[in-house]
Amino acid sequence: MFKLIVFIIFSAWAVISSLGVVLFSNPVYVILWLLSALISIAGIFFVAGAELVGALQLIIYAVAIAVFYIFVLTAVPWEKALKKDSHYRVEGVIAFPFIILLYIEMFIVFTLGVMASPKKQLKLFIERIGNAEVVGSILFSKYFIAFEIVSLVLLMGMIGAVLIGRKESQTYDGDTS
Amino acid sequence: MMEIAINLLIILIKILVILAIALGIGAYLTLVERKVAAHIQRRPGPMVVGWHGLLQPIADGVKLITKEDLFPRYGNRFLYNLALIMALVPAVLVFAVVPFGPTIEIGGREIKPILTDVNVGILLVFGLGSLAVYAIALAGWASNSKYALIGSMRKAGIIISYEVAITFAVMGPLMLAGTLSTFEIVQAQIDQKLWYFWVQPVAFVVYMFSLLAETGRIPFDIQEAEAELVTGFTVEYGGIKFGLFPLVEWYVEVLTLSAIAVVLFFGGWSPINIPFLGFVDPLFFLGPFAPFVWFVLKVALLLLFVLWLHWTLPRYRIDQITAIAWKVMLPLALLNLVITAVIAPLIWR
Repeated sequence: MFKLIVFIIFSAWAVISSLGVVLFSNPVYVILWLLSALISIAGIFFVAGAELVGALQLIIYAVAIAVFYIFVLTAVPWEKALKKDSHYRVEGVIAFPFIILLYIEMFIVFTLGVMASPKKQLKLFIERIGNAEVVGSILFSKYFIAFEIVSLVLLMGMIGAVLIGRKESQTYDGDTS
Repeated sequence: MMEIAINLLIILIKILVILAIALGIGAYLTLVERKVAAHIQRRPGPMVVGWHGLLQPIADGVKLITKEDLFPRYGNRFLYNLALIMALVPAVLVFAVVPFGPTIEIGGREIKPILTDVNVGILLVFGLGSLAVYAIALAGWASNSKYALIGSMRKAGIIISYEVAITFAVMGPLMLAGTLSTFEIVQAQIDQKLWYFWVQPVAFVVYMFSLLAETGRIPFDIQEAEAELVTGFTVEYGGIKFGLFPLVEWYVEVLTLSAIAVVLFFGGWSPINIPFLGFVDPLFFLGPFAPFVWFVLKVALLLLFVLWLHWTLPRYRIDQITAIAWKVMLPLALLNLVITAVIAPLIWR
């Protein structure tokens, strides 16, 4: 009962913040609404007992990713932030079918997840050993190859970013006067 | 029904105690800092208000509260005030996962001196701890001043760099303990008869560097840099609003991160450790209070170490700070992680 009330509070908070992301025009307010939505989703994870996922949500999304938006936006001049020339209405309409597609995908994944553990074995498994251990053992046994491929992709992305961000030494050749 | 009421009461008392510790001791640390600084420079420090200046923080508070509340023209008032809240709340919330001592019994009821023993406590510390960067970025942007903006950009850069290093540094002790819960990390150190400092000195050094950088303490206080940026992101704040930022950044955050360092590297509430042999407790005569005294003592020593550094070292440049983070601290922490991952299973399994 108590759990349900907390869950409703967090999900209402998430919905309101998501609406705020869409409806506000000042980019800094939009980032703050996004932050609020991410934190409320972390709260939902905590209520559901997925503490590891909640903490990772906080660290990765709320801090590491949203902070980069802040980084970019603090460099935006004050006057430009108040203009409303960043609203793309045509693109918004075009995006609509994709949103429905995403919802269908979410629904399918959700039903697959429910079907994967019909007798709540997964829940028992989680309760038997702690949260982080469960994720670790599943990640490194059943999904091991997928995990390795993803880390390889991330490594390549990192190398690419370093290559692009590197200063070429030739640039300074002319400055040695 | 009675049971629920008693549990709620216990939680309420815990919250009040933690708030009192975080804000009360945080405020009194200003006096400690001024005294330490003064004695390092061979002057007496505050002496007028109370015995040896003991009432100085109260006098400072009254002075700051009664000051006129100034607001920069063309600033954003909502974000300007929100920045204060976003600085204060996460810093105090981190205390929820700091264990102060072993489980005690009061009236036949077992009480853990920790607000919530989440099984991912350490991750929460760093998740909440780095939320402070929003406060600083917002303060810089809403003030509509170029000094404040430059200061907040520097701080954001530093936090992003050192957050990576500190997360990898704490992975070493976590791997030895085999758990993410702060309470159980200390328990694991007591069971293994080993402070992780003895086997993880590299991780500890990286952790201390990151502590100084995240809290903006002196070799890394480039976001304040009074010589070039006036006082960085706090430049447009006045009165008690100005007082809150250093209170949170320099005292409350240093306090939490020192407490976490004690939990991770110095065995929390355990007495002096001889590696692999056992514990020596010169404070045995205190009985059940000894663990709490040990915890406070260790945190206090670590804090004094930070203050000592503050009044000894000069300031680095911003590019040097981030270069150290990515080119020295991160590889060191990763190397430490790999070596720990290879050696730890040989000893404990």
